[in-house]
Amino acid sequence: MLAVAAGVTLLAGGVRADDTKAALVPGGPHPYFAAWEQAGKDAVRDFHLSSADYKVPEKWELNAQNQLLESLVSQGYNAFLVFPGDPVGSASTVAELADTGAPVLAIGGCLKDPSMAGFCLGTDVAHSAYLGTQQLIKVMGTGKKRIAHFTGFLVDPNTQLRIDAVKKAAEEAGDEVVQVIADIDAPEPAQEKINAYLAAHANDVDGIVTTAWVPAVVASNALRKIGDKRIKMVAIDHDQVVLQAVKDGFVAGTMLQNPYGQGYIGAFAADKLRNGCTVKADAPWKANALTSHFIDSGTVFVAADKVDTYLEAMQGITKDLLSTFQATYLVCKS
Amino acid sequence: MQGRGTSTTRVEPDEVLVRASPTGSAGGLRFYLTNEFGLLVLILLFGAVFAVLSGGFLSTFNQFTLWRTAAVNTVIGFAMMTVIVTGGLNLAVGAIGVCAAMMCGWMIQALGVPGPVGIVGALALGATLGFVNGWVVVKSGLHSFIITLATMSIFFGVMVYLTHGESFRNLPPSFAEFGRTRYFGVVSPMLIVALVAGLLLIGLYRFTALGREMLSAGAKPEAAELSGVRVGRVFILCHMLSGLLAGVAALLLVMRNGAAIPSMAGQLGQDWLLPAFLGPVLGGTLLSGGRVSVVGTFLGSALVTMLTSGLLLLRIGEFWVQACLGLVLLLAVLIDVARKRYLAHRRMV
Repeated sequence: MLAVAAGVTLLAGGVRADDTKAALVPGGPHPYFAAWEQAGKDAVRDFHLSSADYKVPEKWELNAQNQLLESLVSQGYNAFLVFPGDPVGSASTVAELADTGAPVLAIGGCLKDPSMAGFCLGTDVAHSAYLGTQQLIKVMGTGKKRIAHFTGFLVDPNTQLRIDAVKKAAEEAGDEVVQVIADIDAPEPAQEKINAYLAAHANDVDGIVTTAWVPAVVASNALRKIGDKRIKMVAIDHDQVVLQAVKDGFVAGTMLQNPYGQGYIGAFAADKLRNGCTVKADAPWKANALTSHFIDSGTVFVAADKVDTYLEAMQGITKDLLSTFQATYLVCKS
Repeated sequence: MQGRGTSTTRVEPDEVLVRASPTGSAGGLRFYLTNEFGLLVLILLFGAVFAVLSGGFLSTFNQFTLWRTAAVNTVIGFAMMTVIVTGGLNLAVGAIGVCAAMMCGWMIQALGVPGPVGIVGALALGATLGFVNGWVVVKSGLHSFIITLATMSIFFGVMVYLTHGESFRNLPPSFAEFGRTRYFGVVSPMLIVALVAGLLLIGLYRFTALGREMLSAGAKPEAAELSGVRVGRVFILCHMLSGLLAGVAALLLVMRNGAAIPSMAGQLGQDWLLPAFLGPVLGGTLLSGGRVSVVGTFLGSALVTMLTSGLLLLRIGEFWVQACLGLVLLLAVLIDVARKRYLAHRRMV
């Protein structure tokens, strides 16, 4: 991540001392968000924020996140970068944060419109799942193939988007999704269900696509244990287990997201919004199932040949996004 | 401590608290020996500590959000308390709550019924699911731990299947306004709902035959049966009351969030279990049944919510909050025990 930071530091112009005290708050403890901590530190250094602290609710629970956010207001934080614990249920808390005058941005995941969040900066999950499945189809080769899809919690609306996107890509290629196993983005259920499924049905599938962090790790380990490399797999995210499995040929590749860029650029934008900038109404916003003010933080497929240089790939995406961010998405007084 | 009545049933601490006379020495001792007094002292003590150590603790925003959260935790605690009084447990309290909330959202958004009708529908479903729990417990003779563990998964699974995990957001604006309203800058109407629910429960257990039957059936089912109490029916009613209160808590959260959300109580509704147990147990409700403390449950829930808020404000580190919470709660219980022993020793009791 330092490489990413070094790459984008040069692009951070117009810095000044500031009293922006930003909080980067994920929905709960999860390895995906770990990069936000460094992103916050780098944003403080590069954009001269007072602070940009990574604050994690002690458990993945909407009420725990709400309580943490409320306490952060009392602690004097005045800018919030939030992964909504729930795209609908967090809107009320975000409105209360915004009522205090603090800019609030949804990062990593979106709030459902209408909300008081300035915009949403995150991965286009459906597009990422669609592209990942297409990569899987490519490596599986010709003929009708059978795909198993391992994904996250059903109460997360993103999960249904991912399921639909995988199914769409498979159907377009004439392949079939023979099994969807959801509700397994936690070690225990993932171990239990994925291992049980592969023990019973390994011969019935040709490919696996995973669209959540923990299932990707567990499935990578399972394929390493099976060892014959017949079953092709496309994973998600950058856990070391997954990257090593890609290197060793047990996994065809992984769809990388850009959590560092979300935190870093999000902190930059929040500071700007605190200092007179406004969100540009006619910016080239993308739309997804939740919001019409969406910015894609980038996704890239990394196979074995690029696994050692994936940081550069993400650095490039972050750099590109930051270099035009203010002009594209904000209106600032000169 | 346990009070004893003149009948075969135990006397709930609320009654002890009300009867206690601050002027009489025996009445005064009984007052100081109550869980409620101990909790009140701890709330004041920790409140003072947090106010001194954290500048934001007494801010109107923090006090408003603290008591709003305490209100929800209190009603969740009440929902568990009404089953604990039977000597049982309701592990499905969160699942029932979420089902009730989703029913409210579905009726308003999909059927287009007015908000109050949706609320009634939610409460009716909560009571119905409570009836299912109670009926199966009574008819099977199995402990409610097993039954409600199973129904927790069943209720939640059916809810996710029917709703596809989708939230209901198109609720009347008055719902979200209710959750955000502040009286005098700090008092949430949700706190008033919790207090009214508590007063009604005190009335039930103190002034009605049904309440007394619930206590006697929980204390000694065989004796209650011999006294003419239809224990099975009473147990079912306790579970229905639990389901109803779970529905109330869920509706408060719907108003807090402005939407009915399937994940509002976590996976399978398990996120409600800790607040459901902490309030009643700290408040003095006996896990073996027969003794209930409505005021204690309120104070216990308030203490836990205050500790969470204070620890967060002290920036102890979010991952340490749970550990610190556990330690402080253990300390609180030990102090409570020491207080009772000291007072008992001084009075040669």
